[in-house]
Amino acid sequence: METLLIQASSYAASIDGLILLVLVLTGFWFVLAEGVFFWLIWRFRAKPGIRSQYITGKEKHLKRWITIPHALVLVCDVFIIIGAVRVWYDVKQHLPQPDYTVRVIGQQWAWVFQHPGSDGDLDTADDIYTTDDLFVENDKTYHFQLTSRDVLHDFSVPVFRIKQDAIPGRTITGWFHPIRTGTHDIQCAEICGIGHGVMAGRIHVQSASEHAAWIAEHSPASAQ
Amino acid sequence: MMPSLRSAAVSAGLCLAAVLGACNRAPPTPGMARGEALFDTCVPCHGAEGHGNRELGAPNIGGLPQWYVEAQLRKFQLGHRGANPFDTVGLRMKSMSLALDLEGDLESVAQYVASMARTRSAPVLTGDARAGQTSYQVCVACHGPSGQGIEAVNSPPLAGQSDWYLLAQLEKFKKGWRGTNPEDISGATMRPNAMILDETAMANVIAYIQTLQ
Repeated sequence: METLLIQASSYAASIDGLILLVLVLTGFWFVLAEGVFFWLIWRFRAKPGIRSQYITGKEKHLKRWITIPHALVLVCDVFIIIGAVRVWYDVKQHLPQPDYTVRVIGQQWAWVFQHPGSDGDLDTADDIYTTDDLFVENDKTYHFQLTSRDVLHDFSVPVFRIKQDAIPGRTITGWFHPIRTGTHDIQCAEICGIGHGVMAGRIHVQSASEHAAWIAEHSPASAQ
Repeated sequence: MMPSLRSAAVSAGLCLAAVLGACNRAPPTPGMARGEALFDTCVPCHGAEGHGNRELGAPNIGGLPQWYVEAQLRKFQLGHRGANPFDTVGLRMKSMSLALDLEGDLESVAQYVASMARTRSAPVLTGDARAGQTSYQVCVACHGPSGQGIEAVNSPPLAGQSDWYLLAQLEKFKKGWRGTNPEDISGATMRPNAMILDETAMANVIAYIQTLQ
């Protein structure tokens, strides 16, 4: 999946792995079921002189065509559930200690970002506010505090595999750990009004020196 | 070929032709018809007649001069307006302006807005118009004695504009949400004039502007 969309956060690969597991297991059963289906159609096609029969499927030798695959699918489900719970815990329920916290505010139809200034703390005089551009340091753990000023939005960073609803009146905390420098897309993934389609932003994952220089350049003059 | 297969092949061919046709569509022709179509995206906030909506902070735009509407849309697109993280209303408009990305779209919608009837909004604020008349003398040079605006100095008409919107803009200029971008020359001209007005002076000058025809 890396070839389709780069994995720029620490947990992107595990989410992709889970999607791949689901794809392979469901794909295997889909191909097998369709194969059997079409084979049965061909095998029992209309033939001259042979009357069709009504089959209830209650006989043991017929019922096993259902029960055996059913049991095997349930075994596959166990693997999917184990994988899903592990990824869900890692991404959504486990909150690692952050290096920094940023605030992400959705509104019709823009993203506002509140970054900590040189003191590293949020809600202090040197905070840096930007619109549609989020700047983070590579290989650091970030908490994000996600809110909305008006309606439902969804903070989506495809290369991080993040997709989190923003709900008015509620602050939702999540986390990410960028592992690749570069500029990546941010999008709103919840229909939020007529301008939803243009509610895009960018996340700039910078090296430590680049990020320090950016903070120094953009810190409010009053805080310096 | 069997009739059903033939009809399926024809249907598939038509679908393919439609898809290819859509991909190769010529850009829309700029003008009033295009402007009217584009204005559909403005209606949710500004209303079908362009009267505006105070709840959403959307001003009365119907009948504003085309040059002014074009200039403001360009300012939004360039981030001269609506770029401040605290300017919720401006941010909303900035995003919408970016949707006018085809050649001639911005001019078309401005032309359509200018063709609409200009209507006056009922005042919702109170102020001393007599005192405001004195303050307004500073504004005359750019906005004209009757608030009709002067294109040569990029100053919009004020007469007929909603008082709540005028107040909101004066406050934005004063706070630096407008007129602080180094490339926004006309905004930078307006800002110092807003900075000298306190709350009462703003209410008074707006009350006077409401008396202008």
